Amino acid sequence: MESGPTPGDANPVAPPTNRMIITILALIGLFVALYLWAHNLGLTGPIVCGVGDCGTVQASEYASIGPVPVSAVGVVGYLTLIVLAFIGLQPPHRSSALIGGLMLGGSAGGVAFSAYLTYLEAAVIHAWCQYCVISAILITLIFLACLPEVARLRGRSS
Amino acid sequence: MVCKECKVSRGEERRQAREGESDMRKFYYIFGAVAAIGIAVVGYNVSASVFGSAVSAPIDLDFEDDEALIALAQGMTKGDPDATITIVEFGDYQCPACGGFALTVKPQIEATFVASGRAKFVFYDFPLVDLHPNAFLAARASRCAADQDMYWEYHETLFRNQSRWSSATSPAGGFEDYAGDLGMDEDTFGACLNSDKHADVVSANMRLGRRLGISGTPSILIDANGVRRRVPSNDYRSIALAVEAVSPESSGN
Repeated sequence: MESGPTPGDANPVAPPTNRMIITILALIGLFVALYLWAHNLGLTGPIVCGVGDCGTVQASEYASIGPVPVSAVGVVGYLTLIVLAFIGLQPPHRSSALIGGLMLGGSAGGVAFSAYLTYLEAAVIHAWCQYCVISAILITLIFLACLPEVARLRGRSS
Repeated sequence: MVCKECKVSRGEERRQAREGESDMRKFYYIFGAVAAIGIAVVGYNVSASVFGSAVSAPIDLDFEDDEALIALAQGMTKGDPDATITIVEFGDYQCPACGGFALTVKPQIEATFVASGRAKFVFYDFPLVDLHPNAFLAARASRCAADQDMYWEYHETLFRNQSRWSSATSPAGGFEDYAGDLGMDEDTFGACLNSDKHADVVSANMRLGRRLGISGTPSILIDANGVRRRVPSNDYRSIALAVEAVSPESSGN
């Protein structure tokens, strides 16, 4: 009698849809952060700002943490999420709880940081930057897309 | 004997594997499309600024005589144009000492002498282009602001934000932001800045300064009674004493 599927059979685990969503959202966030970082470096023309007062926010003292522009932090953060999610879509790592945990933790940190920046815009700077708002929405969506990773983490711990 | 359930299970596995790889292909297409759009958008904004045509260095000028030089090298005047005493500054927007002067000493001078009409203040551009690569463009930007009658507001804005734009690789974007923040027509300002407009005026200012022996900034001179005197120090007290020394009241007239 022939046996059922054996370990090593071709890719029994389908690519997790949530990780595809995370990758695409993080890619969009990366370009938003890249544009702001390029503007902070003086590499772009006037900031294109359809809604809000991007210039005031980007020129404020809160646009940088010491010598590091906040936009650069965003670039690194989004890039990290892209790499993690991309690796997590490859067959050997589709069930990886480690990658899931890193993305969940990273995105949670991103949500907290974005919430702080949003508070600064509302209560301190009194001006809104559309790119900051877009980034806050993106990282929140990424965090929500990471919630299925909790099941993978539980599966690993059980 | 073949296990029919096992054969179905393996067939299902292969179907799922094919579906999974099909999903991955769709994902790669979407990823590639988003990446291409993002690179195009960010790349366009960067290249348009970096490769823009904003003149940011002095141009060579030939003058028939000193009158032609003086006619072109117009300074920016604040106060009563008929005031008999002129307080002149040759300044560089990227010079930290000029920033300190503009934000601390100049307001005192204006309050004491310019507001009352005893003196007028005239600023001439003297960007130290060898030391400050963004200074010439900043001077041109201020002249573009003058086209929209916002010179002094922009003058102060440049000095207040000096530390931000001084280190920028391409500061034109920031200069345009300041214009927008001050309520200027950004398109008009941008067209002015990203051209060679006022490059001749700023270059003439520099030539005039060199002709007068200016070598550093800020350099303060007092013009009165047909005589021009260099104030040796840029602090308020030295300038005030120099102005008092040439005032009609001090000469007993």
